[in-house]
Amino acid sequence: METKANISNSSAAREPIIASIRQSLAASKASDRVHAEHRPIVEYYSPSSNAARSILSHDELVGNFCANLDLLGVRFAIVRNEDEARDYLRKLIAASDIKRIAVSDSEIVSDVAAPINDVEVISSASKETLFDCELGLTSAQWGIAETGTLVLESDAERHRLTSLVPPIHLCLLKAEQIRQTLGEILELIDPRQNRTITFITGASRTSDIELTLAIGVHGPRELHVLVLAD
Amino acid sequence: MHHLTSDNFDQNAREALRDPVLHGALRNLADNFVERRRIAMSSVDDWEGLRTRARAIKDETLAHLDEYLLQFVENAEKGGVKFHWARDGAEACRIVLELVKASGAEMVVKSKSMATEEIHLNDALEAAGIEPIETDLGEWIIQLAHEIPSHIVVPAIHKTKGQIADLFVEKVGIEKTGDVDVLTGTARRILRQKFAEAKVGISGVNFGVAETGTILILENEGNIRMTTGLPQKHIAVMGIEKVVPRFTDLDVFLKLLPRSGTGQRLTAYQSLITGVKKRPDDEGPDEIHVVLLDNGRSKMLSHPVTRQSLACIRCGACLNACPVYQQVGGHAYGSVYPGPIGAVITPQLMGLSKAKQLPYASSLCGACREVCPVKIDIPELLLHLRAEIADNNASNVKRKFSERLAFKLYGSMWSRAGRYNFGTKAARVMQKLVVRKGKIGKVSGFIAKLVPPLGAWTAWRDAPPIAPKTFRQQWREKLRSGNGN
Amino acid sequence: MSTVEVLERVGCDVDFDERQTCCGQPAFNTGYRREASDFAKRFIEIFEDAETIVSPSGSCTAMVKHFHELFPGDEEWRHRAESVAAKTHDLCGFLVNLLKVDDLGAAFSGRVTWHDACHGLRDLCLRDEPRQLLRNVKGLEFVEMTNADVCCGFGGTFSVKYPEISAGILDNKIEAIEKANVTTVVSGDSSCLMQIGGRLSRIGSKVKTMHIAEILASRET
Repeated sequence: METKANISNSSAAREPIIASIRQSLAASKASDRVHAEHRPIVEYYSPSSNAARSILSHDELVGNFCANLDLLGVRFAIVRNEDEARDYLRKLIAASDIKRIAVSDSEIVSDVAAPINDVEVISSASKETLFDCELGLTSAQWGIAETGTLVLESDAERHRLTSLVPPIHLCLLKAEQIRQTLGEILELIDPRQNRTITFITGASRTSDIELTLAIGVHGPRELHVLVLAD
Repeated sequence: MHHLTSDNFDQNAREALRDPVLHGALRNLADNFVERRRIAMSSVDDWEGLRTRARAIKDETLAHLDEYLLQFVENAEKGGVKFHWARDGAEACRIVLELVKASGAEMVVKSKSMATEEIHLNDALEAAGIEPIETDLGEWIIQLAHEIPSHIVVPAIHKTKGQIADLFVEKVGIEKTGDVDVLTGTARRILRQKFAEAKVGISGVNFGVAETGTILILENEGNIRMTTGLPQKHIAVMGIEKVVPRFTDLDVFLKLLPRSGTGQRLTAYQSLITGVKKRPDDEGPDEIHVVLLDNGRSKMLSHPVTRQSLACIRCGACLNACPVYQQVGGHAYGSVYPGPIGAVITPQLMGLSKAKQLPYASSLCGACREVCPVKIDIPELLLHLRAEIADNNASNVKRKFSERLAFKLYGSMWSRAGRYNFGTKAARVMQKLVVRKGKIGKVSGFIAKLVPPLGAWTAWRDAPPIAPKTFRQQWREKLRSGNGN
Repeated sequence: MSTVEVLERVGCDVDFDERQTCCGQPAFNTGYRREASDFAKRFIEIFEDAETIVSPSGSCTAMVKHFHELFPGDEEWRHRAESVAAKTHDLCGFLVNLLKVDDLGAAFSGRVTWHDACHGLRDLCLRDEPRQLLRNVKGLEFVEMTNADVCCGFGGTFSVKYPEISAGILDNKIEAIEKANVTTVVSGDSSCLMQIGGRLSRIGSKVKTMHIAEILASRET
C-alpha cells in the first residue's frame, strides 16, 4: 500500500534546509572578506573546449581511438563494411561458443545481424532474457579518441542494458563519430534529449582486492569494438 | 554492527600499529599510489590549472548553493525525477525506507555511496526487515565481514586476499583460493542473481548538474549501471553539496576524479541520468527518487575555512598521501570518513565533542593539501578545528586542564626574554637529572609522570641536552670580541 | 651561530635582537590562538622595523607568514603582520632567491642527503634551493633519498600526543636514510633534526644530523 501522504511530506524539510544554507552563507560574509585578502579568488568560468577542438584528421582520430582501445585491452578491428563486421561477429561466436545474442534496435546492428541464423538473435530482449545471452550487440553514437571511450545515448538506440548484461559486448562505431576530447563530446551531447547517456571505457573491472586488477565484475568482461570506416 | 569510535582514536591507533597484516596492506596502498599518481598527472597538460578551475567551480557553487541546488531540482523535476529533503541521517533513512516499502521490496541492491554509509542506511533497512545487498565488490566484502569501510574508494583495502578468501569460504561456501579472478567471479555470480530480482536499487551521486538536472555517477565495476538500470525504482542519496553549475563543468571533474582516485584517465563507466524514461517500454526504472541530505552540511557553509570541506569530491587521494593514515589505516578514525578529509568532516558532521581527537591526529605535513584535486587546505581546517576545541570547553577536562596550564606557562615564561633566559638556565640545571653520556635516553617512572611529553618522546627517541652555551651567550661573546671571525 | 656566520660571509650586516623569544607556533598549532596572538604581537613589535628578517627555521618562518590569521577582527594588526611577513625569510630561500647566491665557498666531506622539512617545502615552496646550496659544497657527495619529501613524523605536539604514530612515520624515514647509505642527514628545521637524530641515536646509528647552516658555514680544514 503506497503511503503517498508520507512521501510527499518529505519536501517538508526543503524550506528549512534552504533557509539554513542562506543563513550560513550570510553569517560567513564578514569572515569571507578577511579570508579573501590572502586567497585570491579565481573567477568561475565554465570550460569550453573551443580552444581544444581537434584539428586532427580523420585518420588521426581513428588512430588515437584504436591506440587507446588497445591500451585498455579492448579487442577491436577497423572494418570497411557490414560484411566485414559480420565476419568478425561470426568468428567471435565460434570462438566463444555463443548460442544467444541480444541485439539493439539500431539500423546498422540490424543489418549486420540479419543474416545470422545459426544462433538465436533476440531483439528487444526482456531483462530476464538478457541474463541468458552470452553476447550483446549494439552500436555507439560517439567515440572519444583520447581515452578510447564509447558514448551511448539512450534515446537514439535501445542499448542501455544490452551493452551491460551479457558478458560480451560487441559495439559498432562509425569512424566519423569519433572526436578527440571528452570536452568536445560534452558540448555535442544533449542530456535533456537523452535521459541516460553512458560512457564506456574498456571492460568492467575492479582493484578492490589488494589493488590487484581483475577484469569482468558486473558489467561485460569482454569488450569488442568495430570501427566502421568507409 | 559495532565498530571503533572516533573518541578512542588513540587506542584504535595503537592497536592498528600492532597489526602487521594491516601494515602490509597500507604499505601496498601507499607505494601503489605514488606511482599511479605520477602516471595520471603526466597524462594531463595543466594539472595545476585544472585544480584551480575545479576549486573555482566549487567555490562558485558553494557561495550560491541555495540557488544552484534549487535550479538542479527544478531541472531534474522536469525530467520526472522526484525529490525528497532530509535534514539529518535519521530523516533520510525514514524517507528511503518508505520508498522501499512502497515498492513492496524485501531486498534492495545498493551501489557504493559514502552518503548512505554516513547515515547508516543499511542498519535502518535491516532493522525494518529489508535486506540491503551491497554490490560493489569492496562494499560487499565489508558487508559480509560486518565492518565499515576503511577507505573512501577501496573500502576493503585493509584486508588481504587471504582474509577475503577466508571470508568467502565462511560466508558464501566456496573453496579456499588465492585467485583474485575466482574471488571476483564469485561475487559476480552471486550478485548477478540479486540484480535480476531486485525491485529497488539505491545509489549515491557524484555530481548533480544544475543547468540540466543531470546526475552523474562514476564506477568501474558496472554495478551502478545495474543498480540504476535494472530495478523499477532507483533511489539516489545525494549530499546537498554535490551540485555543479553547468554541464560542461563535468569535463574538469571527469579529468580530476578518476586520476586522483584510482590513477585512471577515466573509470570504466559514467552514467549521466537526466530524468525518467520517456516511454513506458523504454529501458530503465519507472521512478527515480533523489534524497537530498543535509546532515550538517549547511552549517559548514558558515565560515570560509569550513566551507571548503564541502568541495570534496571523495577521491581518497588525501588518504593515500597521508603518513598518519599509512600508519593506522581507516578504522582507527572510527568514522566512515577516515584520513585527512575524515579528520575534518567527521567532527563537523558528528559534533566536535564526539570526535575531538581527530583534528589532532595529524603532523600538519600538508601532503593532503598537495594532492587534493580541489585544493582543500586541510591543515588550515585542522588548525581551525583545533582552535575551536581549545577555546571551547570540550570534555576530557582533566587532560585539557594540564594542557591549558602548560600552554599558559609557556605563554608567560616565554613572553619576556628575561623569563625565557631564566627558564633555559633552570632547564639546564634540571636536565642533569636525565642527561646521561651527553644525551637524554629513555625517561620513565616519576619524572615521566611529572613531565609526560618527556616520557612520550624518549620512549622511542633520544633527546639532545640543552647546549652548554646558548646562542645568546655566543652572540654576546661575539659582540664583546668586536666581531672577530 | 652558523646562520650568523653564513649571513656575514655573504656580506650581510647581522643583528640579533635579544628581546625575542618565540614565534608562538606551538600555541597556534595546538589551537591556543589567544596565546599565539600574544606571541605574534610581540614578534611583530620587535621586528617590524628591521630591514630583513632571516630565520634558520622553515617552520618559524612559515608561522610568521601565518600571523595574519591570528587577527581576523583587527585590520591594523593584520597589516602589521603582513608587513613583517613580507620581509621574513628562511635562510635557504633568502640566500638563493633574494641574494641570488648558491655557492658560499663552503667545504664539507661526507655523503649527505637532504630531508625536506614540511613547512619549508610546502608552505615556503623551497625544494631546489637547499639542494642547489648543498651541491655547491666542496667535497660533499649529495644523495637524493627516496621519499625525501615525506614527513618525519614530528608535527610539534603530535610527536608527544601520538608518539607511537610519530615513531611509525619516523621509522619509514630512518629506513630511507639507511638505504641511502649516507654519513649525514641535513635539513632546514631543528625539530626534524631532533626527531630524526633522536631515533638515529637510540638505534646506535653512526649517521649524523646537521642543520644546513652548519654545513654552509663549514670551511676547508
